[in-house]
Amino acid sequence: MEMFSALISGLIQVFNWSTFSLMMIGIAVGFVVGILPGLGGPTAMALMLPFIFKMSAVEAFAFLLGMTAVTATTGDITSVLFGVPGEPTTASTIVDGHAMARNGEAGRALGAVLMSSLVGAVFAGVALAIAVPIVRPIVLSFGSPEFFMLSLLGITFVASLSGEDQLKGIISGGIGLMLATIGLDPIAGIQRYTFGQLFLWDGIGLVPITIGFYAIPETIELAVLGTSISTQKVEKLGGVMEGVKDTFRHWGLVIRCSAIGTFTAIIPGMGAATTQWLAYAHAVQSSPNKERFGKGDVRGVLGPGAANNSTLGGSLITTIAFGVPASVIMAILLGAFIIQGIVPGPDMLLPPPKGKLDLTFSFVWVIIISNIITVAICFLFLKQLARVTQVRGAIIIPIILVLIYLGAFAEKNAFQDMLVVLFFGGLGWIMVKMEWPRPPVLLGLVLGPLAENRLFLSTDNYGAAWLGRPGVLVIFAVTLIGIVYPIIKKKREEREKSASETQAQAAVERAGHGGVRFGSAALFTAVVAIVLALALFQSRNFGPRAGLFPWAIGIPTLLLALVQLGKDTLGRAKPKGALAAWEVAVAVPPAVARRRTVSILIWTIGFFIAIWLLGFSYSIPVAMLLYLKLAGKEKWPMTIAVTFFTWLFVYALFERTLSIPFPEGLLVSLIKGGQ
Amino acid sequence: MLKILSCLLMTALLLPSSISAAAADNYYQGKTIRIVVGFSAGGGFDTYARAIARHMGKHIPGQPAIVVENMTGAGSLIAANHVYNVAKPDGLTIGHFIGGLFLGQVLGQKGVQFDARKFEFIGAPITDHVVCAMTKASGITSVEKWLASKTPVKMGGIAPGTSTPDNATRIFKAALGLPIQLVTGYKGTANVRLAAESGEIAGGCWGWDSVKTTWRKAIESGDAVVVLQANRKNHPELPQIPQAIKLAKTEDARRIIDVGIHADSDIIRTYTLPPGTPKERVQTLRKAFDDTLKDAEFLADAKKSNLSVVPVSVEEIERDINALFKLDPGLVAKLKDLLYN
Repeated sequence: MEMFSALISGLIQVFNWSTFSLMMIGIAVGFVVGILPGLGGPTAMALMLPFIFKMSAVEAFAFLLGMTAVTATTGDITSVLFGVPGEPTTASTIVDGHAMARNGEAGRALGAVLMSSLVGAVFAGVALAIAVPIVRPIVLSFGSPEFFMLSLLGITFVASLSGEDQLKGIISGGIGLMLATIGLDPIAGIQRYTFGQLFLWDGIGLVPITIGFYAIPETIELAVLGTSISTQKVEKLGGVMEGVKDTFRHWGLVIRCSAIGTFTAIIPGMGAATTQWLAYAHAVQSSPNKERFGKGDVRGVLGPGAANNSTLGGSLITTIAFGVPASVIMAILLGAFIIQGIVPGPDMLLPPPKGKLDLTFSFVWVIIISNIITVAICFLFLKQLARVTQVRGAIIIPIILVLIYLGAFAEKNAFQDMLVVLFFGGLGWIMVKMEWPRPPVLLGLVLGPLAENRLFLSTDNYGAAWLGRPGVLVIFAVTLIGIVYPIIKKKREEREKSASETQAQAAVERAGHGGVRFGSAALFTAVVAIVLALALFQSRNFGPRAGLFPWAIGIPTLLLALVQLGKDTLGRAKPKGALAAWEVAVAVPPAVARRRTVSILIWTIGFFIAIWLLGFSYSIPVAMLLYLKLAGKEKWPMTIAVTFFTWLFVYALFERTLSIPFPEGLLVSLIKGGQ
Repeated sequence: MLKILSCLLMTALLLPSSISAAAADNYYQGKTIRIVVGFSAGGGFDTYARAIARHMGKHIPGQPAIVVENMTGAGSLIAANHVYNVAKPDGLTIGHFIGGLFLGQVLGQKGVQFDARKFEFIGAPITDHVVCAMTKASGITSVEKWLASKTPVKMGGIAPGTSTPDNATRIFKAALGLPIQLVTGYKGTANVRLAAESGEIAGGCWGWDSVKTTWRKAIESGDAVVVLQANRKNHPELPQIPQAIKLAKTEDARRIIDVGIHADSDIIRTYTLPPGTPKERVQTLRKAFDDTLKDAEFLADAKKSNLSVVPVSVEEIERDINALFKLDPGLVAKLKDLLYN
């Protein structure tokens, strides 16, 4: 009864007019931040933190949570429409969502992603409310060994994220895990692969990697195709209702992925950046006939769409009940708790007057209400939103480039992060060209540190005895089933198929045998192998503790990369898979494609150099003007208008209002210094 | 058409520079001071800095705007190096990074690119008061029981070289002979606390201000117990808890506690200016910082956010830092071995 009255009291508090209007402002900010690529929820949250000093607790959290809760929803829109992640946490909706948009199914993809986001958010809210009485004993029964096993379980999801080529997928996962070892090792404090750069002591950030990995290849693609995003006419944005219906058609999947998001996020260190991929992997793994995944399967949109929203509920559980920040965004929210003089912990779960359960329940309501409002607004303006995809690429590209670098910089105010974006943009682009899957890299990158940390904490605390803990055994069994079951299933399916296909297969094999080749694919694999070998060579001085992970991951990954190299040089050329509809629709002659590729690569690097030399506020007008005029061949009025408004937006909002400490351009400081 | 374009461009180019032009006699008028915080938004360092930033401007002639800028990385070493080497000594940049780095410099910590003696200090809002807190379930409810423990008591750590919990715990183990197994690698004291509550470890040693707020419930109910404190003064809230230095048996042990914990606690939250900042601006900012820490509105904000305010004077800070550089080589070697190996 007390709980129920706290639930109602929480609702009433949200509908207090000042709270509600602050929540609406939060939603508006989150809406824009979510849509804009580059800028992420955590960055926005950190920037908004100073504004909450004057607010009451309920107001402050309505404002911040309202903002956070919608970023994952509107971020999905950008991912679907542009193939550029609106948020690092919405990268996974690109894979199938953007493919659908290109197939002319943007409406259906948006309908699906919005509806599943709403379901995910409501699930998160309900889970948070239900979890209140039981969360402490459950979480406290988990120790480091269980956390380690769960991260191991997460790593096995790499297999489902690998697409058709499992070997490349596993190597990619290994590369991600290796990348995760960059920085000070957590136990001995030894520097691993930091090359004397302080900047690398904390490892490389997930945000710039994700932005680079997905946004830059897509920008290149857009420039090469020389069209607007939507390659097919979206005269009438059909299929929105179809997408909504899809959500209910695949109801089980949506709910399961919501659950994956919420429950995984309870583990400290697992945010939506991880859960989205786990959900995507689950969608692939659990679905019959997987052929369309990656080419525009609505199930690949529904899973991550739900999970990246439901994650918030799980992260909040850990943050509220224990004061342990489960993710980056929760660490900042914890700061908001401190500012408000509220100590997260058991008090948050007790009904008033003893505790602050009404405040906790107001969080539940904010998550649910803000998403309902956002999704409703999105549905109302869906047509206008989708029309953006028909804007000429030449206008979109420079804006995206500016936002990419801006977002990379603003996350940590670190200049070097722009280099990280550039590097991983290049790597991501090559991986797309060579048909290497990118998601396993990201999954390895997030789960690697968690696994390493918890493994050492487990052995330090329990010796080898942790292996026998019941929780460990249960998770181990689940992991094993997860690995073995799909193999058995596949074997069975193959046996059924094999009868009819043996002959065709044999024909392909005969045709393919053509001696040793060393093409671009082999070259890339060779580079991967060499870098891995060098990394292993470097790690010889790390000592057994700091060295264990690099060795345990590096050696098998290197061996597998050599196998892949063998396949690339000796193996038969794989017959190309069926092309997606849009690939057939827009065929660019190779010579033109090559010229455009070189051009956009130069521009992408050029934007970075301009920022480096001139600083943000001067380089944006210069670089944009040049791009629109020279590469885009736009008319003057359009050129000036786009340039001016982009500059005004960045200058007024980031430089003046939010005081982002943009570094002075190299040339600018030289000139000033010379005076 | 071109005319409009050039007009627009001119405005674009001139706007930023015209704003910084201000009256020369009243230096701070219309200016913006940046507090460069070495840790991320929402953390303890950040929260103090933001509370101070909100009130310090009105104590400086000309009432400049004050903004907080987070420059994270390498345990705030990036920010420290930045303030020393890159930031202009014009009185518009204030650095706030962890003072444990000063001891780090003396012990030869890698990556240090500053000389602590050349920074201009303007004060610190608080001295850390290190305590060791244990769960009741661990059975270690007093320092006597701890000393008598037959097996090493598991204590949580974050990373080697961190002032608290790691350095403090290692020093207690070496100087007092307490049976301790430091399990390091937890991501922050919140995770240490969670691990203690789940029974994985017995407890940890870090600042009382943090312990008493984040672990208040358990402390009140007796599920968590403070068994040891280390500071030059007894904390008024902890009159009965034994002082570490009184338990030390040798002069060496007392020296190590005094340097590694007491002095470190005083300078841990210093606010600094780049070397070479004009003397009169250093004086202006020192006075403003002092006045802010006495400001009733600031104190009200701090109280709301559970931030204790126990100012450390510039003289105390400079004395502590100079003392660090006068340590005899034997003790430096001992500390180095103790904290980093």
